[in-house]
Amino acid sequence: MDLELILLNFPYFVAIILFSMGTLIVLTQPNLVKKVIGINIMETSIFLFFIAVGNMHGGVPPIYDPQFPDALYVNPLPSVLMLTGIVVSFSVTAFALALIVKLYIYYGTVCAPNFMKLK
Amino acid sequence: MDRVDLDTIKMLPFYCVIIPLIASFCMPVLARWKKEYCAPFTTAVTAAVFIITIIIGNHVIKGRAISYAVSGWRPPWGIEILVDPLSAVMMMLIAGISLCIMVYSFAAVKYELERIVSGWYYTAFLLCFSGMIGLVVSNDLFNMYVLIEITGISACALVAAKGTRLSTEAALKYLLLATVGSGFILFGIGFIYMITGHLNITFIAIELAQVRDQYPILIWTTLSFFVVGFGVKAALFPLHLWLPDAHSSAPSPSSAILSSLVVKVYIIAFVKILLIAFGLEIFHETFIRHLIIVLAVIAMLAGSFFAFVQIELKRRLAYSTVAQIGYVFLGIGLGTPWGLAAGMLHIVVHAFMKTCLFLCAGAIAYQTGRKKVNEFTGLGYLMPFTMGAFTISAFSMVGIPLFGGFISKYGLALGSLEADLPLLILVIILSGLLNATYYFPMIGQAYFSQDGDSNHGEHGSNEAQKKFKRDEIPLSMLIPIVVVALGVIYLGIFPGTILKFINQTVAVLL
Repeated sequence: MDLELILLNFPYFVAIILFSMGTLIVLTQPNLVKKVIGINIMETSIFLFFIAVGNMHGGVPPIYDPQFPDALYVNPLPSVLMLTGIVVSFSVTAFALALIVKLYIYYGTVCAPNFMKLK
Repeated sequence: MDRVDLDTIKMLPFYCVIIPLIASFCMPVLARWKKEYCAPFTTAVTAAVFIITIIIGNHVIKGRAISYAVSGWRPPWGIEILVDPLSAVMMMLIAGISLCIMVYSFAAVKYELERIVSGWYYTAFLLCFSGMIGLVVSNDLFNMYVLIEITGISACALVAAKGTRLSTEAALKYLLLATVGSGFILFGIGFIYMITGHLNITFIAIELAQVRDQYPILIWTTLSFFVVGFGVKAALFPLHLWLPDAHSSAPSPSSAILSSLVVKVYIIAFVKILLIAFGLEIFHETFIRHLIIVLAVIAMLAGSFFAFVQIELKRRLAYSTVAQIGYVFLGIGLGTPWGLAAGMLHIVVHAFMKTCLFLCAGAIAYQTGRKKVNEFTGLGYLMPFTMGAFTISAFSMVGIPLFGGFISKYGLALGSLEADLPLLILVIILSGLLNATYYFPMIGQAYFSQDGDSNHGEHGSNEAQKKFKRDEIPLSMLIPIVVVALGVIYLGIFPGTILKFINQTVAVLL
C-alpha cells in the first residue's frame, strides 16, 4: 500500500487500533477499574475518529474572518457532536465507578474473578 | 383542520419526550420533600403521556406522518422528530405498558426496594421512559445515540436500584457491555457521517442511494458495526450475555420494563437505520439478512434450551426473552411484508406477554415468597387471578390460537413462505414446542399437582389447598396484571387494530 496514503489517513488507523485495544481491555481484563479505563480508551478513539472525519487538509478553525471570506474551514459539526460524546462518556464512567465502589464495599476487592458469581 | 390545530399536533411528540425528562429532574427534589407523592406524580406524568400518544396515534393512522423540527432548525441541520405509524404504535405501547408497570410499582417498590432509593427509582424510571419514546420518534442519528445512552444508563440504574450484591454486579456487567455496544453504534454513525455528510435518516437514504457504489467495503463495515452494536443492546443471541443476569436480579417492575420495552426500542432504531437509511437494495445485496436470519434461528432454539434448564423463575423468563428477540429479528431478516409486519407485531405481543409474566413472578414472590419454577404447587388455588394471567401469557408464548403469540408466529410462518424459506416454519414450530416444555410444567403443577409431592404442607391440609381463594396481593398489583392479560387476549382476537398501523409503515418500507 502507498506510504503517502497511510500517512494521510494516519488518524483513522490510530482510531481503529485504539478502539480494538479498548474493546479487548473491557472484555478480557479481570480488574474492574481497568475495564472502565478500557471503556474510556474506546470512547476516546471514537472522538478521535469523528474529529478526523471533520478535518480538512489546510483548513482553518471555523471562525468567520472578514479578511478571508472564502477561506477553507474545518467542519465544526463532528467536534461539537463529540462534546456531547464526552459528556456521555463521563457519565458512564462516573456511574460505573460508583457501582465499583459499592462492589468494593461488599467484597473488599475490585478483581472480578474473585467474586463474580454471574458469568 | 385549521392551521393552529396542526401546529399543536406537531408539537405533541416533542412534549412526549420533554415532559417525562423534566419530571424526572423534579423527582429527587420531590422525594426529599414528600416521598409519598413520588409514585402518584410519576403515574400522572405517564398517564398524560399515554393520552398524548393516543391523540398522536389517532392523527397518524389517517396517513399523515408528523414531522417536527426541534426549535425551528430545518432537517438537514437540525434535529427532526418523525412519527410514522410504526413509531406511533410503539409510542402507545411504551406509554401504555409503562403506565401498567407504574401502577404495579406502587406496592412493589415499597416491598422490594429500600425506602431511601424509591425517589431515585422513579427518577430512573422517567428518564428511561423519556429516552425510549425519544428513541422511537427521533429521525436524527446522533440524537438517537444520545437517547440510546440515556435509556441504557437509566436501565442500568433500574437494575442497580435493588442494591443487593447480585443486582449491583449485574448492573455493572450490563453497563460495561451496553457501553461497548453503544461505542460500536457511535462508530457506525461516524462511518455514515463520513460517507454521506448527513445525520438525518431521510437525507442519508437519499445520499446513500447515490454514492453506495463508490464505498462498497465501507458500507459493509458500517453495517457490521451496527449489527454488533444493536445486537449487544437488543440481546441478539451470542451477544445476550448480560441479559439473564440483569433481568433476573432486578426488582420485578424493572425486569418487566427492561424485558418488554428497553430491548425492543433498540430493535426499532435498528430497523429504522437498516431499512430506511440503508434502504432495501443494500439490505438485499449484502449478506446482512442471511446473518440476521442465522443468528435469529440460533437465538430461537438456544434461548429456549437455556430457559429450559433454569431453576429460578425470573431467570427462565429472561432466557425466554432471548428466544423471543430471535422471533423479532427473524421477522426483520425475512424482509418480506408479512415477515416484517409479524416481527413488529411480535414486539407488541411480547411486550404484553412478558410484562404479564414478570409482574406475575413479582406477585407470586410478594404473596408466597416462592421464586423457583418447581414451587408452583397449589398456586392456581392460592392466587387464581395471578395464575390465570400467567396461564394466558404462557399459552400466548407457546402460540396457541386465540392468544396474541399465535398471530405473530403465524405471520412469521407466512413470511418465511414469502421469502422461499419453508424450513424456517419447522424452526418456528420447534421453538414453540420448546416454549411449551418449560411453561406447561409450571402451569400443570399450579393446578393439577399430585397431593403426594406437595412440598408446602404449611398451607394446611390438602383439602383446604384445593379451594379457590382470592389473591392476597394489593389491588394496585392485581389490576395491571389483569389488564395486561386481557391485552394479550385482545391482540389474539383482534390483531387488526395494531396491524393496520404496522402495515402502513411496512408498505412504505418494502
